[in-house]
Amino acid sequence: MFLEAQHIDKSFGDFKALDDVGIGVREGTVFGLLGPNGAGKTTLIRIVNRIIRPDNGTLLLNGNPMTDNDVQKIGYLPEERGLYKKMRVGDQALYLAQLKGLSRHEAAARLHKWFERFEMSDWWNCRVEELSKGMQQKVQFVVTVLHEPKLLIFDEPFSGFDPVNATMLKNEILALKEKGATVIFSTHNMASVEELCDDIALINKSHVVLKGSVNDIRRSYSRNLFEIVATKSETPMSLPQDVRITKQQIGDEEETSFIMLPDGMEANELLGLLMPQRSIRSFREVLPTMNDIFIKAVDSE
Amino acid sequence: MNKILLVIRREYLTRVRKTSFWVLTVVVPVLMAALYAIPIYLSVKPVEKTTVMIADESGIFGGFDRNDTLHTDCRFASSDNITYRYAATYDYALRQMEKDDNVSAILYVRSRASGAIPTDACLYYKTDLPPSNVRYDIDRQLQRILRNRLLRSHGISDDEYALISNTKINLRTEDLETGREAFLDVKTALGVILSLLIYFVIFMFGSQVMRGVVEEKTNRIVEVIVCSVKPFQLMMGKVTGIALVGLTQFLLWVVLTGVALVGIQGSNPELFRQAVQKHDMTELATKGTDATIQMQDADNLANVPQLVEGIAAIDFNVIVPVFLFYFIFGYLLYATFFAAAGAMCDNDTDTQIFSLPLTVPLLLTMLLLPAMMNSPSGTISVVLSLIPFTSPVAMMLRIPFGVPLVQLYWSMALMVVSFPLCTWIAARIYKGSILRYGRRLTMFRRKK
Repeated sequence: MFLEAQHIDKSFGDFKALDDVGIGVREGTVFGLLGPNGAGKTTLIRIVNRIIRPDNGTLLLNGNPMTDNDVQKIGYLPEERGLYKKMRVGDQALYLAQLKGLSRHEAAARLHKWFERFEMSDWWNCRVEELSKGMQQKVQFVVTVLHEPKLLIFDEPFSGFDPVNATMLKNEILALKEKGATVIFSTHNMASVEELCDDIALINKSHVVLKGSVNDIRRSYSRNLFEIVATKSETPMSLPQDVRITKQQIGDEEETSFIMLPDGMEANELLGLLMPQRSIRSFREVLPTMNDIFIKAVDSE
Repeated sequence: MNKILLVIRREYLTRVRKTSFWVLTVVVPVLMAALYAIPIYLSVKPVEKTTVMIADESGIFGGFDRNDTLHTDCRFASSDNITYRYAATYDYALRQMEKDDNVSAILYVRSRASGAIPTDACLYYKTDLPPSNVRYDIDRQLQRILRNRLLRSHGISDDEYALISNTKINLRTEDLETGREAFLDVKTALGVILSLLIYFVIFMFGSQVMRGVVEEKTNRIVEVIVCSVKPFQLMMGKVTGIALVGLTQFLLWVVLTGVALVGIQGSNPELFRQAVQKHDMTELATKGTDATIQMQDADNLANVPQLVEGIAAIDFNVIVPVFLFYFIFGYLLYATFFAAAGAMCDNDTDTQIFSLPLTVPLLLTMLLLPAMMNSPSGTISVVLSLIPFTSPVAMMLRIPFGVPLVQLYWSMALMVVSFPLCTWIAARIYKGSILRYGRRLTMFRRKK
């Protein structure tokens, strides 16, 4: 494990924000931290960033307890993003990069590269308050990744981004992963989880209620539901009693059926039953979306 | 580069680059120079010549025998700007005033029972009020003539009068051990100036620290920063950076004020030399030419060397380092707490509520200043100069009078000891509050 948090407890006064929380993040993967508002995601992220100390528990980075120096290896984009309004973009980016341990010279060279890439070189001498919110977010993203951290932490990265920038951000996250960085991000946006995440942990009411790889989780929540597209036919499908057709859409040429199998019945059996009746065009298992899983897991608490 | 240095650098540069910094830096010296130069320009500006008619029915002020050359000291004396002309009657004076535009006023002294001394006189004017220097001159001359008349009628000679009026006893305050004079007035003035200076410095730059912290918090940039810098480093970097801004501004003020004054004087040296000379001359002229009054002048002038002597008697070798010590530590002590208070604010309007507890000890010391001036080594003064939160202001008031070394060392020691302690407390509050929004501080309720 690249980063491991074990048995983390954290209370604020009488409120227990995290209760025996443990997560493991594999190197070079994208890890999603999910959970409803107020579940404790931001608290956990702040603990990983060493902004606040846990009451109990350990944090291991590459198997060693994390120290303050490890913070240099982290790039953090908080949920509440802000910049000094009156400062010039270039000065500000240089300052934040230097705080992360880059030399002034190195920071300037890297910044110019990124600014060119994102077509924002013209903003260098603008005051931050002159930029739009989306522009500010781009600046913040660049500053976060500039020191090429091994671990990137994004808290709700997609909130407030327009679709164009959100797509850009997704691509950048994947590109960073390609380059070997490990990414943790918290989000409500379940579609982005399916697209980006390798592993997730779902936190609800200060506890981890679900964790593992996205594929495993979706499979474990599988309802044995299949989508079959076949050529249109006048005769209805004849299937055993315990096989349920949940939905059927009939088009001009094709019919799409959603069929739920009883426990223990294999997909091949269904295909065997259908092949004599229909000419099948496509067949796939319908896994539950992360959105469904999220709601189910949170509701069952 | 060390991170705290980076923070200091940013705090310093962003402030120094602001237009408002330079506006303030230029405006203050200009104001100071103006404060010095404008009265001089005004005093040198030629005063309009004017004529005053005197209608003296009492005869005391030279109204009866206009050609009395023997008693010139009992008549109105004209000067460069003011011409006095005697009129036989009030009506004649009125007619003169209508005829002659130069006549700006009539001094009318009503007749009384013969021999009685008049107790009031009236200055009549038309539309334009006579300038204050004219009124002042008339008043002085009235008093002078009246006094000289009385002296004469009682048979007292000028020499006798000079003897009487110039004999006075001088009360000095002297230190029994050193035998040196105390110069209490000079020291009190110096003490008050130093106290006010420290008070303003703490307030001005303390609230700048507070505003800076609130800005970072409301901007939400603080969360990005505290994951690369420890909150303590951020706080101390800000406090130090602003201190350096303050020192820079202060130095620039001193230098620019000096340059402005030299510039103003250099632009018109003749004017300023004239101003000084004229000042001396008018002093003499208005005080009259009599020997008695000249004697008094000499007495007044004696105060100037006394002031110089008083300043010379003050031990600046002690005051300057002590001032710098309390200047720096007083600022640091308060600035860290201003930072902590700023961290507790959610917005700008909160700042007033949270800075209130900080201003109380300072205001209290300022309110007790008169009591301390009354007795610089009294109980109040000693106590206030020992408590770290009041000692910067209180000690500045006391220091010109000389403070027993034991007290000074105790006060400084308490300051030095309380500084890390207070900074630690302030840093804890700061750390606990900086990422908390909308919720009040809970750190006092729990341990962890």
